[in-house]
Amino acid sequence: MFYHISLEHEILLHPQYFGPQLLEQVKTKLFTEVEGTCTGKYGFVIAVTTIDNIGAGVILPGQGFVVYPVKYKAIVFRPFKGEVLDAVVRQVNKVGIFAEIGPLSCFISHHSIPAEMEYCPSIAPQCYKTKEEDMVISADAEIRLKIVGTRVDATGIFAIGTLMDDYLGLISN
Amino acid sequence: MAEKTVLLTQQLLKPIKILKWKVSEGNSMSIGRVILLYDFDGVSKPEQRKLKSQQAGTVHKIIQPEGAIVKPGDGLLELRECIHPTVMKDMCAECGADLRKHDATRTASVPMVHAIPDLKVSEEVAQKLGRADGERLLRDRKLVLLVDLDQTLIHTTNDNIPPNIKDVYHFQLYGANSPWYHTRLRPGTHKFLGNVSPLFELHICTFGARNYAHTITTFLDNDQTYFSNRILSRDECFDPTSKKANLKALFPCGDNMVCIIDDREDVWNHALNLIHVKPYHFFQHTGDINAPPGLDKQENDDKEGVDLSILKSKLNGKNLKEHDKKNGVEKEKVNGMQRADDVNNVEGIESNESVNNEKTNGKDVDSKVTNIISTKEETIKKEDVEIDVQMENTVQNKNNGNEESTKIEDVDKIESDCKVQNNSDVDNINSEENSGCKDNVNSEDNGNELKNKEEELNDKKVENKEEELNDKKVENKDEDLIEIEDPDDYLLHLEDILRRIHIKFYEEYDKMESGDVPDLKQVIPNVRSEILKGTKLAFSGLVPTHIKLEQSKAYQVARSLGALVTQDLNDDSTHLVAVRRGTAKVIAGRRKKNLKIVTPDWLWSCAERWEHVEEAIYPLNSKGSKNRHPPPHCSSPEHVPNYPTHDTPAIRKRTPSGRFMDTINPLMSFSRDDIADMDKEVEDILDDESDESEVEEESSSRMDEANTKKEDETSSSSSSSDESQKIKSHKRTYDDALTQEDNLDTDCPSTKLRKEQLESDLDIDDSNSEASVDAPDGKDNDELDIMGAALEREFLSNSE
Repeated sequence: MFYHISLEHEILLHPQYFGPQLLEQVKTKLFTEVEGTCTGKYGFVIAVTTIDNIGAGVILPGQGFVVYPVKYKAIVFRPFKGEVLDAVVRQVNKVGIFAEIGPLSCFISHHSIPAEMEYCPSIAPQCYKTKEEDMVISADAEIRLKIVGTRVDATGIFAIGTLMDDYLGLISN
Repeated sequence: MAEKTVLLTQQLLKPIKILKWKVSEGNSMSIGRVILLYDFDGVSKPEQRKLKSQQAGTVHKIIQPEGAIVKPGDGLLELRECIHPTVMKDMCAECGADLRKHDATRTASVPMVHAIPDLKVSEEVAQKLGRADGERLLRDRKLVLLVDLDQTLIHTTNDNIPPNIKDVYHFQLYGANSPWYHTRLRPGTHKFLGNVSPLFELHICTFGARNYAHTITTFLDNDQTYFSNRILSRDECFDPTSKKANLKALFPCGDNMVCIIDDREDVWNHALNLIHVKPYHFFQHTGDINAPPGLDKQENDDKEGVDLSILKSKLNGKNLKEHDKKNGVEKEKVNGMQRADDVNNVEGIESNESVNNEKTNGKDVDSKVTNIISTKEETIKKEDVEIDVQMENTVQNKNNGNEESTKIEDVDKIESDCKVQNNSDVDNINSEENSGCKDNVNSEDNGNELKNKEEELNDKKVENKEEELNDKKVENKDEDLIEIEDPDDYLLHLEDILRRIHIKFYEEYDKMESGDVPDLKQVIPNVRSEILKGTKLAFSGLVPTHIKLEQSKAYQVARSLGALVTQDLNDDSTHLVAVRRGTAKVIAGRRKKNLKIVTPDWLWSCAERWEHVEEAIYPLNSKGSKNRHPPPHCSSPEHVPNYPTHDTPAIRKRTPSGRFMDTINPLMSFSRDDIADMDKEVEDILDDESDESEVEEESSSRMDEANTKKEDETSSSSSSSDESQKIKSHKRTYDDALTQEDNLDTDCPSTKLRKEQLESDLDIDDSNSEASVDAPDGKDNDELDIMGAALEREFLSNSE
């Protein structure tokens, strides 16, 4: 699920940037440091929308670095158990399907793929498909899945998904 | 295991009528699976609804029959809790349970997917998937082929390589400041993969890092048709020194249908289903950059490579003497490369080299001259291709200095024609020197081949001439590239081998019918043993006296190829594998009509290509052969299968009688005839003195290098002197650090030393083989020296 929330971040700036462009530097540094990162609590920081406040910088004694507390708003993506999402298949193998939902990787076990979809390793690319071949899931296919579990690490989130529900599976255009 | 069962209850508000169960007992159930179809009881409008599972597990027991009406809160079925058969990142892939939190028993332990070690499945699931794989392979009539990358299909170096070599891929793995890798695909790789992939399911199995493996795979297989995602890299290897351990995980139902191609056997624990590939060597001074730690195999690193490989592969054999020389020259070459503009240095190299030759080579003057000729010739090449061709021929036609003077005149004449002696040519001179001196050594054997080859090269050179002129530095490398344009054709042989294995496997499978699957671990050795089936070999001068015939490598190689080996020349012998002329067996063999006399190279090349090579290519000539030992890639004694159908192995008969006395002193029981025979043998050998002395001299020069105790002697080649110096210093530390003696022994297995030991081992064998019955030419002294040295070493270590 996407959220637009207020977040805080501290920017550590080298003294070489002290000058007329200082605040610009703080902003660019914020973008590079924050966008694309992932925290367990808020999920993936997709994009910074606004910078609300750049606080007073504090010079670190003995170093000369300055620390700016920055308040900003960002769009974050936090997957939840039970959420239904659209994903792109990255890899298909005999154990299941790996898919990506933007920055989030997700695995769907063979058992969580409807039984009528069979694994076909002999044709390239490998795929899961129904007997009638009306539904073929191979790499780069778009599928809709439901998240049944997430593993939240300090650096990333990994999800387990399933296709065993109504309206899940290949998204036909 | 303790399985918890939970009761699934009807949780709707109204009572329901079960229309149809969609699961049966024993079914596995994941979240969202339809359990049953139901309708609310007593509703006028009948409507089928689905009841879906909110939990994962297996259906243990269905409580309510179809048609029953179930009130809210009543049990529907018993569900055995999910046993987490598939686990990804410690999270059950079926039910989503976090296995780090729950202290759940972990059944999933088999990482079945090559590149994703985090994904594990239980033994049971693995078996099931493995079986499905096996069935599918049989249906498609395929086998599994595990392909190694480094030195099997590709050769990669970290060295600085000019950026514009053809067919070499350049890439960085870890960002802008990381080292560059340069990868050359083995000639014919794409064709090989294309031809083999219909027969085999290809897997990559490499000790390279994951990143590296995947990058290389994009070169090999851009659209993922061959390997798909079946790439096993170092990151996924259980054991840093062996690939064997992963087999069990990848193929849980056994490796019956797995065939392996790799350039080294040790990482596979000498598996029977391994085809030991001739290592591909393109870049000099680089071995396998991804060799497992502590298992670096360096035997050819400095010896094989770009500008030498033509002759190497043509000859299919190595001459130790040549190697000495090559080593020396190449070491110099590196120096020369580094300080290319230092002309003095180069001069030094040249003189150095000629000194080497003088010492190493029996025909010293001759070779020196040829070297100079070839050096000059190569320099000239750049300027005038036509003259080049002419020179080429001159050099080839040359035979041991008969026409020395004319040739030198020739050179002088041409030299005066062109003035290309500038500094930038130094590289070229140096690099060409190698091939030059090799040319010389082998020109007699391969004159024609060489000529053809080089004429080809010249043609190509004409094409590239413009480029060459533009950039001298690059030109050097370009020439190298052209020189080795297609020297390595091993993949063609390999493809053939694999085809045969595939055919054989499915022949046997069709015969079995019962659904049994033949085991490639038997099929492959069997295929191998068909190669020389029906031939009967006898060896001459190949097996040292103190080694039993059955234990010699040559014997094992021959047996693994299916040949019969006898100690003596029999009437039905088909081949005599002789190291040199003039042995009693060779002389006896000449009288036999149907006996083919070949050099050991014939046997080695049969072993390398897995085919009955034409004997005419390897005739025994006056030079004989120096390759008593099989090249490492075709010495696979472990491949020797059991031969239940074959005769009992030849018994080494020294004396015709089997009396006990003979074992003590054979001389006592020799009949007069025997002794007369022996005398004759000695005479024969003496007649062939000229050949003999050459071999002898060579071997003694090798002995210098080999014998680690003889470092005081002036060694004959720069490489051996190098090495012996190293030994000297090693020994000095030995003496100085009395207390650390043991540590030294164990803690200094530097690769250099290891390699040396290896060589010396080989050479000791070699020297002993000189002393075999066929050649009683006084090598005993050397043998004694070695023994004495060993004794001395032991004594020293004891006294300390």
